[in-house]
Order: sequence, then C-alpha cells, then structure tokens
Amino acid sequence: MKKPSPLLLLLAVLALATACNKAPEASSGPAGSARKLSIALMPKSKGNAYFISCKAGADKAAKELGADLIFDGPTDPDPAKQNEIVENWIALGVDVMAVACENKEGISTALRKAQSKGIKVVTYDADALPDSRSFFVNQATPEGIGYMLMDEAARLCGGSGEFAIITASLTAANMIEWQKHIEARRAASFPNMKMVALRPCDDLKDKAQSESTALLSANPGLKLIMAICSPAVPGAAEAVKQAGKVGRVKVIGLGLPSENRRYIKEGVTDSVILWKTEDLGYLAVQAAAGLAKGTLKTGDKSFASGSLGQFEIQGDNILLGKPFVFNKDNIDQFNF
Amino acid sequence: MKRYFRELSVAGALLILLLVLALFAPAFFQPQPLRSLLTREAPTLVVACGMAFVIIIRQIDISVGSQFAVCSVCAGLLAALKWPLVLVLPASVALGALMGAFNGMLVAGLRLPSIVVTLATMVTWREALRWQRQGQFVNLPDNLQWFGLSQSGGQWTLIGAALVVLTLLAWATRHLAAGRFIYAIGSDAEAARLAGLRPQSTTFAVFVFMGALVGLAAMMNVVQSPQVDPKSGSGLELKVIAAAVVGGVAVSGGRGRLWGVFAGLLLLACISPALTHFHVEAYWEKAIQGAIILLAVVADGVRSRKQIR
Amino acid sequence: MSNPSIQRGWKAALLRHETLLLLVVAVEWLYFNSVGPRFGSVDNSFDIIRHSVEIGLLAVVMTPIILTGGIDLSAGSLLGLCAILFGKLWRDAGLSPVMAGVCTLGIGAVAGGLNAVLITGLRLPPLIVTLGTYSLFRGLGEAITRGVDTFTNFPASFLFLGQERWLGVPAQVPLFLLVAGAVWVLVHRMTFGRTFRAVGFAPEGARYAGIPVERRIALAYVLAGTVAALAAIIYTARLGQAKADAGTGYELFAITAVVLGGTSIFGGIGSVHGTLLGVAAIAVLNNGLVHARQPREVAGMLTGLLLVLALSTSALPKLLALLRSHRQTVNPEPIKS
Repeated sequence: MKKPSPLLLLLAVLALATACNKAPEASSGPAGSARKLSIALMPKSKGNAYFISCKAGADKAAKELGADLIFDGPTDPDPAKQNEIVENWIALGVDVMAVACENKEGISTALRKAQSKGIKVVTYDADALPDSRSFFVNQATPEGIGYMLMDEAARLCGGSGEFAIITASLTAANMIEWQKHIEARRAASFPNMKMVALRPCDDLKDKAQSESTALLSANPGLKLIMAICSPAVPGAAEAVKQAGKVGRVKVIGLGLPSENRRYIKEGVTDSVILWKTEDLGYLAVQAAAGLAKGTLKTGDKSFASGSLGQFEIQGDNILLGKPFVFNKDNIDQFNF
Repeated sequence: MKRYFRELSVAGALLILLLVLALFAPAFFQPQPLRSLLTREAPTLVVACGMAFVIIIRQIDISVGSQFAVCSVCAGLLAALKWPLVLVLPASVALGALMGAFNGMLVAGLRLPSIVVTLATMVTWREALRWQRQGQFVNLPDNLQWFGLSQSGGQWTLIGAALVVLTLLAWATRHLAAGRFIYAIGSDAEAARLAGLRPQSTTFAVFVFMGALVGLAAMMNVVQSPQVDPKSGSGLELKVIAAAVVGGVAVSGGRGRLWGVFAGLLLLACISPALTHFHVEAYWEKAIQGAIILLAVVADGVRSRKQIR
Repeated sequence: MSNPSIQRGWKAALLRHETLLLLVVAVEWLYFNSVGPRFGSVDNSFDIIRHSVEIGLLAVVMTPIILTGGIDLSAGSLLGLCAILFGKLWRDAGLSPVMAGVCTLGIGAVAGGLNAVLITGLRLPPLIVTLGTYSLFRGLGEAITRGVDTFTNFPASFLFLGQERWLGVPAQVPLFLLVAGAVWVLVHRMTFGRTFRAVGFAPEGARYAGIPVERRIALAYVLAGTVAALAAIIYTARLGQAKADAGTGYELFAITAVVLGGTSIFGGIGSVHGTLLGVAAIAVLNNGLVHARQPREVAGMLTGLLLVLALSTSALPKLLALLRSHRQTVNPEPIKS
C-alpha cells in the first residue's frame, strides 16, 4: 500500500532535529547573558477571574523583582493537565514555581520531580502534600474557611434553620475539603442548622441560578443559600431576587467583590468572604523569588515581602492574614 | 396516530413526569418558580429549534455553545458601551449568523464533515474568548435587564418570544417550500439535487440560520441577569442535541418535528428540578440523565426493529 | 470518490494526507526547536510521549470505530469510570494492582460491549448511544465515589508504570507501542481487520460480500472499551491518583487526533499511522507552545485551525474533481454527506 513508512520518516526527522539541537543547547542555558530569575505561576484554571486578580499582584511583584514571570495553567481545572504543565516547566528549566493545586496527590508526583531537579517549589491558594514543596502561601486554611462560612450562616439564620450549598462540581477537591469542615462545624456548634441539599453548578453562573430557583421552590423552609464557588454567588443572588424572597432567604458565599457589588448593595447577598487576592499573588511570587535567592529558608519565622512588609510564618506556612467579610458597609473599599 | 408515535411517546413521558411531580411534589407547580424555569429554558428552545433543522438536513453543529458565549459577551460589551437595545439585538444576531456562515462555508462550500468543522470552531471560539476575557464577567447597564420591563413582563416576553419562534418555524417546516427542502435534502441529498433543489446552498443557509438563532438566544439570556458570564453556554450543544434526539429528530436526517423537540427539551429540562424536588442526591443526576437518553433511543430502536420484521 | 489505495507512485505518496501531516509535525518540531532551547532535549521528548499516551490509546482504538462509520463519545467518561473502579478494586476489594488491572480491563470490555449491543443489536445511531453512555459512565463514576472519594497511595511498583523509565524509555511507552502496533496490524495487515473499512465504505455492500457487519462493528467497540480501561490504568499510574473526573473531555481530543490523521468521519477511509501522526501533531503543538512561551488558549485555537486547514487541503482536490465530473456527466457519483 505504501513505500516509505511515514513513521520511519518521522523518527528520522526527530533524530535530525535532536542532533541539530545539541549545539545551541550547550551555549545557552543557565549562564546566558542578562540572566533573569524565571518564576512560573500556575492557577487552578485559566479564564477564572479569581486567578486573574491573583495575577495582577503577581505581575506587580515580578516587576519589582525584575523577574521573568510565566503564567500558565489548564483551561479547565484538570489535575492531569496541571501535572503536565509542571513537567513542561521542568523541561523549560524555570528556577522556581508557585502552584495552586487542583488535587493534592495528582500534582505532588510532578512537584517532587521538580524538586529533585533542583527547582524550588511553593504552593499557594491550595496546598500539595507537604514533602513536595518548601512553603505554602496560606491565605486561609480549609478549616478556617469552612468555620467562617458556617458561623456566618448560623449568625444570619439565628442558629437554626435549613440551608443549601451550591458547589462548582461534585469532584472539586478544595470544595469537598471545605464542605467537610462546614459539616464538622455544623455538627459541633449548630446542631439546629440543617443542610438540605448540595447542588453542583459546573462553575457556571447561569446553572447556579437555575439550581437555586429549583432549591427555593423545593424547600419552602430554606433560610440560606451558601455558594462556595465564585460564579455561584451572583447566580444564587439573582435567583433569590427573581423569586421575590430577598431578605427571607439569605445568600452568602466565596467570591470577588466586583461580581457581587450590585447584589450586596441591593441587600440580596448578605456577605461574601474572601482574602486580598492581589496580595496572595504578590506574596506567592515574592516567596518563590525569596526561596530561589536564599532569602527565605526553612525554619524562618517571618518573611519580608517587598512593598507589603512582614508576614508571619508558621511551620512551613506563610500566612497571608485573615480572610475578610465583604458586606454592605465595606464593599466600596474594595475595587477588585 | 402512528406517524406521530415518537412525538407522542415523548409527550407521554413528560406528562407522566409532571403527574408524578403533581402527586408527590406539588410545590413544583408554584407559578413563580415554574415561570422562572420556563424563562431559563426559553433561549435553549430557540437554539434547539435551529439544531433540529441542522440535524434534519443531516448535519450537526457542536459549536453552538461557543457561539452562544461569544454572542453573549459581545452583546454585553456593546450594551456596556451604551448601545441601545435596538442595535445590540441585531448585532448579536448578525454576529451569530456570521459564525454560522463560517461553519456553512466550510461544510457546504468545501464539503467538509460538519461534525469536524464545528468541533474545530467550537474549540477555536471558546479558547479565543477565554484568551480575550480571561473569565471576567461583563457588568451590564441597569436598564438592560428584562428589556427595561418589570420582571414578570420580561419573563413573559421571553417565553412568548421563544414560543413565537417555535410556532413560526414549525409552521414553516410544513407550509413553506424552504422548510420542505430541508426534509428533502436530509432524506436524500442526491435525489433532491436531481429534483432541482440546491443541497449545498440550502445547507449553507441552514447553518447561517442556526447561527442567527444562537445570536437571538444569547440576547434572550443576556437580558435575564445584570451580568454576563463568559462561560455561559458551555454544554449547550449536548443539551440541545439530546433534546432534539429525545424529541424524535433522526440523526440520519430527514425526520423530526419541532413539537417533538419542544417536548424533548421540556422533559430534559424538568429532570434536574424534579430531582431537586424529590430530594434525590445530586450524585445520581448525570447517570439518570444518561439512562433517560438511552431509554428514549432504545425504545425507538426496539419499535423500529419490530416494524422491519 | 477516489480510493487512496489505488494511487501509486511517489507523487501520490507525496500528496497523501499522512505525508503532509508528517511535514506539519516536522515543521512544528523544527520551529519549536529553534525558539525553545530545551524543547528538543531527550527528557522533553519523553515528556511529550508520556503526556500523550492515554489520548493516543483512545485515538488508536477510536480509529477502527470511525472507519466503520461510527463514533464513540463515551471514551473519556469510560476512562474516568475505569480509573475509579480500578482504585476501588485495589483499595476496597483488596486485590493486587495486577489483578485489579485485569478486572478493570474486563469491566472496560463489558462497558464497550454495552455500546456495541445498543448499536448493533438495536441498530441505533452510535452518536446518540454513546452520547447517552457518555453521561451514564461519568454519572456512575460520580455516584460510586459520591464525587468525593479519591484513590491514592498506590504502591511504588504500580506507579512505576506511569512515572519511571524502563529500558531507557518511559515505562508506558512499550505498552502503547504494543497496542498501537497490534491495532495497526489488525486494521492494515489482516483481511479480518480490513473489513472495518469495507463496513464503513458501504455497509450494505459489505453485508452482501458475506462480512458479518454487526460482529465486526461490535468488536471495534469492545476493543475501544478494553483499551479505555488500559488508558485508565496508565492515567492512574502517571498521576498517582484516581478520581471521578479523570479523562474529562478526552473523547474530543481523541476524535480530533483521528480526524486530523486523515480518517474520514463518514468511515471507509483512514489509517492508524495517520492517527498516530495526528496525536503527535497536537502533542508537539501543546508542548512546544509552552517552550515558545505562548498561553495555553493559543494551543486550543491553533488545534482548531490546524484541523480545518488539514481537512481543507485534502478536500480541495476532491472537490475540484467533483465539480469537473458534475460538468461532464449527467449522473455523477453520489455525494457522501
């Protein structure tokens, strides 16, 4: 059917290409002219406003440091793709990477490999296994987030009543972690609160709105909707508003001020919990650079982070500080 | 009766579901949530009508979800630039038609397989949009929601608009020559060509029309809330294809009725809220949806096998 | 429609889709090699291969299916289901990884068999059947684990398969070559396997020629199910964890690779080596763009563009021939669309 096997040809071309490559590889490399520190920053997924906000801070830090920043991640939150990108960066030869992990175990294999090649690793936003990175830039522990959400929910409901949770997907690792702590807090401190439903919204605002509408009519006693992924908060708020249940059903969640400002001002959404995302990105890049330059070492008790000043270190966690609660009174102070 | 078996069986399944809901979860029928549900599905219905045409002419378009997102975001950005609604709506429709024309050009002009062409455009539009917007919501001006009407007024307008589109198109498939051409070409393109029809031009037109309907649907979705999510419309293609197929449109072309698609869409749209009302845990939802699609096609398959024998 | 196997001579060979695609891969390679100093290193080349093994496996077995004129949208979902069932068998049923792997392959075959029964037994369109099982398999995976359960802490001897090197190459590569080679021999060198193309080219004709059409089609889907299970095991070993979201969207990557490789989506025309080149073209592009410091979205856009271009170039000569024959004869060959 055919004479020259295309596969053989392919192999020949590959061999040729590799051979051609030998020469330039020797001359370039770490000791190139005007060597800049190269820092790679990975979000859980691209096209996510939360991480874009982190990136703004990261860009600022990179500019101050005169470092070269690579920002890349999977287009959808996918542990396998994150793993691949880390391995790509190892091949690319970056000096240090800062990673927000979609899934602990999945990414740790690749991060350990990076460390074994002498690349420093920090994690931010969501941690990997402790042996696969040097530091975790900790904006809030899952426990802290879970407790904070549950406490806020109980406060708004007066300690008893039904609530429902809207999550991104049933498999999102960090949200599963938060739900665990929400449930633990509920069982321990607020036994009169009852979680009636958990619905996924595929990280889509429109679907969160549809799901909330169904929840509202199926559970007449519902007092609060807790939206734990950022597109779900405005989605749930719009559903409550359209159902004419503003005030009777509260909305809280984790999200960006810019996406929720309107609903908070209208009194539909009561409070949104978040940390300073820009500072998180800034701190992650500063910590990564510090680690690469040797200004940040295991055992340090504090870290001087450029223009943001000192941050406390507990063990191997660099603490960003407590999360904020955005509500009607303070929403105008935040412009991201 | 037998001619409409497929459509009637879907309608029957829908009725049974509604009956079960009426008996065990009457809260489902409260007017406000029900109206909200229908409003949410109105844009989907418009897209499903277009998809029915595409499948009847024996093509497929899996890029509708991406087109929907692109149209939504562009419409949102234009509205944010203070364009009046009377200009934003045609702009969105035109943009959709343009993207449809691109598909149509490749499918009808170069005779490339539609599933591959639209797979390529699906990926391309979606990634381009992600690249440009990075997932940021578009905040709309205040007067855009519900076309500036009251909420119930806006909801009725949208439901009405979707039903008007459905009725007009259903009428067109029966009574307009262009509508009949689609069936003729879908049944046998070569026979249709020999009979003097122009399969390639008609296919092109159907893709353009599909895009225009997506543009309209995107606008119908944009006015439902004060923000546009650039990810809106993901998974829309699977939803409308499933609705069309469950509603009795044959993927082998040439067969299908819009009323069946309507029933199929309502059936699929009711499943998720119904499960919420029955307090079924969300973990089972995807499996149940898959099982229902399979049941619908298996029932159809068993029946047509009996007929062959 | 011209049959590619009739075209002979070096000119025809040069114009064949596979040759053009090889050129694309070579150009990609040379370009990325010039912009990214470490792109051509052995380590990176092995990374490209390791990262594309799972999608490569799915694409290789998707080829016979598409050759018969079918499609399998459930491949990615089945990979996810098999990954967690493998984890479940190993952790909860206490089987050794080898035994769990064997059982998983069996489960994959059964799941592929479900597609096969619905498609051949009831003569249902594959697009719709596998659209249903696409939701069903993913849904079962979520229902079994409740989305939460993650299987991890596999023994190092198992992780070897996905992470270490064996005889100097990544351990999964020999396995992949074995499967790809076997499918290639089946499709291109055995009369038995050549019937896939016959079935896709003209199902009724194949039936009259005495080919058991249903059984051949069923075989393609069972094979796809089994290999999806194998891909699930390799995926689990590479990541060191199994969760219900494994392999989301992989079916589209696999189909893209097959079609880019020159297989006609209507069946009848195509090759396994073309598919391998398709996988290579996409994998090199994805990896190379990282070295060229381009954002990931560009990779998706370029893949779409490449697909349209590849199809257009191979469609143009055919279209011209078709138009010419339209002008000359009253009753040309039917247009297959």
